[in-house]
Amino acid sequence: MVQENSCVAVYDNHLQAEEAVHLLQKNGFDVKSLSIVGKGYQREEHPIGFYNTGNRIKFWGAQGAFWGGLWELLLGAAFFWVPGLGTVVIAGPLVSAFVAALEGATVVGGLNALGVALYSIGIPKDSIIRYEIAIKSDRYLLIVHGDQSEVERAHDLLAAGDARDVTIHLS
Amino acid sequence: MNPESEFFDESAQCLMRSPLFSGLESHAIEEIVTRCRRETWKRRRQLPMEETWQRFHILQSGRVRLSRSNPESGRMITLFLLGPGEPFCIFSLLDGKPHEVMLETLDDVTLLSLPMDEARQWLEQHPEFNRKLLPYLGEQMCSLAGLAADLALHNTETRLARLILRYIDAPAEQQHVTPRLINDLSHEFLAEMIGSVRVVVNRQLQHWKQEGIVDAHRGHLEVEALQELVRRAEEPPHKASV
Repeated sequence: MVQENSCVAVYDNHLQAEEAVHLLQKNGFDVKSLSIVGKGYQREEHPIGFYNTGNRIKFWGAQGAFWGGLWELLLGAAFFWVPGLGTVVIAGPLVSAFVAALEGATVVGGLNALGVALYSIGIPKDSIIRYEIAIKSDRYLLIVHGDQSEVERAHDLLAAGDARDVTIHLS
Repeated sequence: MNPESEFFDESAQCLMRSPLFSGLESHAIEEIVTRCRRETWKRRRQLPMEETWQRFHILQSGRVRLSRSNPESGRMITLFLLGPGEPFCIFSLLDGKPHEVMLETLDDVTLLSLPMDEARQWLEQHPEFNRKLLPYLGEQMCSLAGLAADLALHNTETRLARLILRYIDAPAEQQHVTPRLINDLSHEFLAEMIGSVRVVVNRQLQHWKQEGIVDAHRGHLEVEALQELVRRAEEPPHKASV
């Protein structure tokens, strides 16, 4: 079960998001408590997807190294096509909430599977709508799951960096 | 909050619309929003003010109740019901101390918060804010004094009428009015706002309903005869039988 307290940071590009993950790691955060969501940028002439080579899942697409690296580091990996959003790539514990949403374990009116996953970890609907717009605009969400003091500490670290927005969601 | 944030403009707009911050120069409002962090709290979150008093909070959406209770009797009294644009932990802003108050969110709420020191710094830099803050504090004190006087001097019917009227902004000649903030609250909650109990409030509302003064059913309260309700709120203190 993903903790229902989170700190969500919005980044303009994958480099900033990756840097933030390393910053949190350097400051003692357990990477297993981090999730990242992005759109899996796609150009018509290039294929996009994922494949498995032995014990590794690799991402094929414009940010292959980024997602491949995160999938190795974080807890959980998902690649889906979501109506209204397109291809969505997720790394981290949010994957289990996303899968639960797909399986219909949680149903929330007016939200797609990603929205339901975010709702199930305590993010209110009006914020979810903004986060989906951010993802549609090729931005990245970095989510820190944890207790109140952890998400507050994450906020202070992330707000001092390149994040476009950092919000704390408490349940 | 980063001015580039998707939420920055709506946060600033919310403060500009609020009675406490409206009229301030936009740069002063933008400055305080920049100093704030955005938080959302889920509905029914309860926490003592000891956990929140070191930050100054401004509600952006949703409602928060500030109350005190007696753990032995289980009785509770609501001191303030706050809505969008209103601050909390404001007494701690003034005296730098925690207060024995319980906070509870009635809805999913969005709020802005900043450390008390930064809030005080902003206040020093923007003394014009005092023109709004002092009357607001005066209103809060009047509200507490009113609550104390109502509890000591008036019966339940008068207290309930006064409570509903406090949340009505419509002109007296208007008959059908929906009170703001309290119109969907349970009878138990209304009782906790006037120092009574659910059955008494329920009985009173049913009585008024029969008289055509209010339309009250589960999760909905509407005033049908405002002038009559005003009359019921004007019971002289000497007639009271609490």
